[in-house]
Order: sequence, then C-alpha cells, then structure tokens
Amino acid sequence: MGSVLAASSPPPPGSGVVQGAPGLVSAPPGFSMPSVPPPSVPGQPAGETGSPLPNPGTYEECHRKCKEVFPIQMEGVRLVVNKGLSNHFQVSHTVTLSTLAESGYRFGATYVGTQQTGPAESFPVMVGDMDNTGSLNAQVIHQLTSAVRSKIAIQTQQHKFVNWQCDMEYRGDDFTSAVTLGNPDVLLGSGIIVAHYLQSISPALALGGELVYHRRPGEEGAVTSLMGRYTGNNYVATLTLGGAGAHATYYHRANDQLQLGVEFEGSMRTQETAVSFGYQLDLPKANLLFKGSVDSNWVVGAVLEKKLLPLPLSLALGAFLNQKKNKFQCGFNVTVG
Amino acid sequence: MAGIEELSPAAGPVETRPPEGEIDEDEELDETILERLWGLTEMFPDTLRSAAEVTASGSVTVAKKLYSFSRAALWVGTTSFMILVLPVVFETERLQLEQQQLQQQRQILLGPNAGMSGGMPGLMPPAPVKM
Repeated sequence: MGSVLAASSPPPPGSGVVQGAPGLVSAPPGFSMPSVPPPSVPGQPAGETGSPLPNPGTYEECHRKCKEVFPIQMEGVRLVVNKGLSNHFQVSHTVTLSTLAESGYRFGATYVGTQQTGPAESFPVMVGDMDNTGSLNAQVIHQLTSAVRSKIAIQTQQHKFVNWQCDMEYRGDDFTSAVTLGNPDVLLGSGIIVAHYLQSISPALALGGELVYHRRPGEEGAVTSLMGRYTGNNYVATLTLGGAGAHATYYHRANDQLQLGVEFEGSMRTQETAVSFGYQLDLPKANLLFKGSVDSNWVVGAVLEKKLLPLPLSLALGAFLNQKKNKFQCGFNVTVG
Repeated sequence: MAGIEELSPAAGPVETRPPEGEIDEDEELDETILERLWGLTEMFPDTLRSAAEVTASGSVTVAKKLYSFSRAALWVGTTSFMILVLPVVFETERLQLEQQQLQQQRQILLGPNAGMSGGMPGLMPPAPVKM
C-alpha cells in the first residue's frame, strides 16, 4: 500500500454529536489524527549540553496509549472490505447488521497526497465516509508548514450539519499547542473554542493544560483542566484534573506479548467514579490479538481478533457481559483486505 | 410414689389433690413427642436459651447467604473466565498442537534420512570408469 494511511474502522452511526461539554476536541469517532514522529534533529546525540527536549506529542494522544489496550464493545455483524486502488487512494465498503441500532451500508474513501513529511506520512489526507441514509463524515488534514498542521472535520446527519470544526496545531521543539474551533455559528453567536498546550519539562515528564470556552446565545462558560504525563521505561502514567473531573490512566508493557492498562475516571457532573483494568495479549505466531477488560461497574468484556491467513481476512469476535444487570452483548467483524 | 400410695383404695378421701410435681398422663395425651422434647428445654436458664436461639438463627441465615453467595460467585467466575481467558487458552493449545504436528512431520521426513546418510556412508554410486 506504499504510504497510504488506512482509515480506522468507520464511526458508529449517530454518535459523536458535539454537546457543550468539555473534552469534545477529538474528531468524530473513528477518525484519528495520524501520529507524527517527534521532529528529531538528525546527527545530534542526546548527551550534548542543553540537549533538546523531545516534542511531547499532542494533547489528545496522552491517554490514547492506555485506551487502545481496552476492547471495544461490539454488537451485531459488520463486514468491511478495504480496497486500495492506488498508492494514494483507498476505498472501503462497510455493511453493518445489528439488532439494537440500524443496519446500513457505509462507503468510505481515503486520499493521501503527495507531500511527504516522514517515512510513513504524507499530506494532505482526505477521509470521507457516507452512509446509506446520506450522513457524511469528512475530514481534511494538511500540513501547512513544517510545524503547523491543520484539520477540518465535518459531520452531518442526513442533510443537517451536526458537527463542523477546524483545528490548527503548532509543534515547537519541546511543546505542542493547538486551537480548535467547534461548531462556530456567526449568525447565532455560538461556538466552542478549545485551546491545548503541552510542554515537555523533562524527557520523561510533560505538563499541559486545556481551556474550553463555549458560548450559546444567552450563556457562556469556560472549563479548564491540567494534565501531566510521565513516561517511564516501559510505562506511561497520565493524569488529567479539571473542572469536569479527574481522569488517570496507567499503561504498562509487561513483555512484548502483554500490555496492561488501568484507568480511573471520576466525573464531577454525575458524581460517579469508575475503575477499569484492561489487558492486551499479542501472539503473532498464532495470528491472534486478544483484548480483555474488567470494570468496577461489573462489566466484563473481551475482543478476539484473528487473522485468517493465507487469505487477507481478519475475524474479530467480541463479547461484553454486565454481571450486575445480567445483560450480554456479542458481535463479530469480518475485515477483508 | 408417695402420691400413688395415697390413691390406693386404702387411702383417705377422694378429694385429696395429688402433689404438684406429679404429671397426670391422661390430661396431656395430645402433646406430640416434639413438643414434649421442646418442653424439656425449659429447664435451661433464659440467657442460655436466648443465646442458643440467636446462634441457631444466625447460623441458618449465614448458611443461606453463603449458599446464595457461592452460587452467584460461581456463575460470575465461570462466565468471566469464559470471556476473558478461554479463547486465549483454546488458541494457544491449538498453536501448540500445530507446532507438535509440524515437528512430528519434520521428524518423519528428515529423521530416516538423517539415519540413512549416517549409517551408510558408502552409498555413493561408483563413478563409471570406462576405458
């Protein structure tokens, strides 16, 4: 596939609607900013006086390493066919059959441009997704200069625009700052502005803050939160404290097969706390990827992904069981290509 | 025994009441054996009786709770094990069996070969020298 960035699995229908709540910076679910390796100065050993601090990455990525260890809840049957038409263009068809939500077909296309900034990345990246009901998710990511990257994302529900946001990110030598403008409406005078700043204090420690300002005709408000991330030898610990609550994650890589994650979340709004423990077992010899999680809400879940070689097929089986309410949900995905 | 003697025909008037410690069997024939045994417990002091009653009812409650708890724990444990651990166990066992099979096949294929080439070194065809 050359340097084509494969879009991650299509977003679940109808979700990701922006409310006035903080932390909505992330793009519509299913889309992720392609990760950029920190701009390292080639040929400069780290032991020099005033050795440069590494770029800390983006604000959203800090909790992501731990979140990726957890399985996602699957429901119903999903068939995904990915087809690469060229080095730059990829097309995907998704058929979803489900009992709880609506069944549908989704067509997605990804275009990766020719401006190459790194070994695995090229810009601009345009990702689009359309549902059988006409709901569109579209995203354009472009690297404007060597340090500035911008993204525009649009989400519609049938013909109505639900989410439109523009985001600009600046990567300095040892800091990253980003500004996101969400759902700006000049006529109504409403919108959401989110500003992020993340600074490397030491090669292992990064501190940052987030400011969310939302405005609607008649009300306006702001929420701030602070974040700290510590990276150790084989672990990453992140803590976010803010007006909306506390969120702490710990990611640990036990060996090259087993990864663990612990997540603690407390919300001021709902006055609830939850602790989850997840693990990911990677057995490339058996073409197996297994993710399991146990929750403090008595929810047990697991996802098993198996590559059915020699065909380019991948089968994912998921099961989630809520012991307290005695509710069970299972589903499977088949991915071709 | 003194009372029986008094009721013999040679005793005094019929209105003589029997002493208080005597039990007249005719009046309480409809008492079951269990009630009579229960009545025996009335000889113990009250504190001991109440303590025994509390202990007994407490142990019955504990036994019931333990039973229902072990049922729920067994169900939760089994289903969680089934979801979290069983698929990995199946797959690793399958992988092991496959590897064993491959090894066996390789042994069958290469084993006798290794034996032959080791045991018969002079199996090279003689180079024909034709004059």
